[in-house]
Formats: sequence, C-alpha cells, structure tokens
Amino acid sequence: MKAFEEKWTAWIDDQLTGRELEEFLASLPDRATAEAEKQSAKKLGSFLREQAVALSNADFFSHQLRERLDRESAPARSARDAVQTGWWTIRRLLWGGITSLAVFALCTVMVLREKTPPSQSQYLTEILTYRVDPTVSPNATISMFQKKDDHVTVLWVEGLQSLPAEYASK
Amino acid sequence: MRARLLLPIAIFLVAIRIGGAALPEQTVWSGLIIASNSAPTEPTPAEITQIEGTLRKLFGYSQFQLIGQATKTLKTGEEDWLAASKYFSLQVDSRGEKADAYVLNLKLFQEQKLLLETKAKLSKASPLVIRGPQVGDGQLVIVLVVQ
Repeated sequence: MKAFEEKWTAWIDDQLTGRELEEFLASLPDRATAEAEKQSAKKLGSFLREQAVALSNADFFSHQLRERLDRESAPARSARDAVQTGWWTIRRLLWGGITSLAVFALCTVMVLREKTPPSQSQYLTEILTYRVDPTVSPNATISMFQKKDDHVTVLWVEGLQSLPAEYASK
Repeated sequence: MRARLLLPIAIFLVAIRIGGAALPEQTVWSGLIIASNSAPTEPTPAEITQIEGTLRKLFGYSQFQLIGQATKTLKTGEEDWLAASKYFSLQVDSRGEKADAYVLNLKLFQEQKLLLETKAKLSKASPLVIRGPQVGDGQLVIVLVVQ
C-alpha cells in the first residue's frame, strides 16, 4: 500500500496508471488545484533540466532544493491536519456540551418541580413572626389561627390603643 | 444534521418553558378596611366581596369600608409597596417566592407609630386577615390577597 506522498510523486511523474490512477484521482479533495500543482511541478522540472547544464554541482543544488521544499510544505501539511483533527474534536465537544446542558436543564427543572411537596402550608397562609412595640402598645397580645374552611389565616391583635372615629378617614 | 441540532434546542426551550411556568406574574391586593355595624353609606367595594362572608363571621360586623388599598403585580417576587389611608399605612416588603407563596414583611403604622410588625408566607389560595385597633365604633382590618 503506497502512501499518499508516493502516489502523488508517481502521479506528477505520470507513472500512475489504470485502477491505481483512478483511485488516486478519486481521492483528491480538489482535482483542479492538484492539476495546477502538477503543471507547476512539471514546469519547474523542465526549467531545472534546462538549467542543469549551467549548474556546477547539480546534485547538491537538487538536494538543497528538495530540503527547502520539504521544510516549506511540512508546516502547512501539519497545520492542515491539526485543523481537520481539531475541527472534529471541537465539533464533538460542542455537541456533547449542548446535549449535556439540555439534559441538565431538563433534569434540574423536573427535580425542582417535584421538590415542592403538596402540604397544607401550600394552601394556607402562614404567619412566621409577629411583634408589637411594647412601648407603643404595652397591653397588646397577639394570636394567630387558620380558618381552614374559609382558607383564611388571621392575625388577631388585642389591646391596641382605641382610636377616635376620625381615624377611619380615607 | 439540522435535526440533530434542533433536538437539544427543543429540549432547552421546553425546560425553560416549564421552569418559567413555575413563576407566573401575580397580583397582590392589600386593603385597609374599617369594619362596623353602622348604616351603609356606600356599597361594599368589589375587592372585599369575595372575603366579605369570612370577615362577617370573624368580626361580627356587617359593613366594610375601604379606606386604603394597593394592588401590586409581583414580577420578581421582591417588591415593596404601601397601602395607606389618612392615618394608617401598611408597608409591604416582599422577600421572594417559596413553595407557591410569597414571603412578606408587613409593618402597620398609625401615622409615624409602628403598631405591628409581622412576617408571613402569603399563599396564593389563602388571604391574610389582620385585626387592627378599634377605630370609633368599628375595627381596622387589614386584608392581603393574591389575586
């Protein structure tokens, strides 16, 4: 099984044929770009072949050129791979997060709704605390009761100072 | 793909809808009433009619005159308001909602004098009645109802 890079090089050199060529072409994500790259590579090859006679040390030049090309292409490829890997990871994380939040919200609401027990206090008002100022009303006494048949809670205050009728004004 | 995205959103919206339904806006009516047996000068106010029978049984008076009132719509459950007449005022400080009832701090003033202070859990299905001081030949009665 050839690696992609090997097939790519073979394709550039027109050494891929038959079924292997078809499979390789089908695996290309963007064929137009690949074709353009192939043409560029061919042009570069032709150019280098033409200039090869002028080079005093063709092998060294070729080696230097290949190394530089490798250095330039390696970060781009790894960045592309990272983005693709990251994209899948982020997507899965996002889905997981959204689903978890939705389930959590639903469960929280259900639990909170079930937590309110159906007790008598739900139906009758409750007096929690009460007080009168002993300096203002020294004889005041307070009691409370619930009239369950009328669903009423009463705070009964006795001993407050009686007031004249004018205090009934609006 | 789109259906997969819609499912969590739908669950979220349902949860918010259910959660929101637990806290609807409520109106609390607070009234300062003079209960007496004197001849009626005006018809019983509509706000009192639903509790009039209970007040008659409790206090033995036949006439009810509204001398001060306030109607407050509770949105957060933590609001303050005042129901006042010329000489009396009821200061209400709502401290939130618990188990289908509002926790209220109530202060009844006669002019500047604090007559009574109480904390109550006002249920939505149960009015609170407070017996105040004797006024002339009648009685001051305070009523709070969640409408």
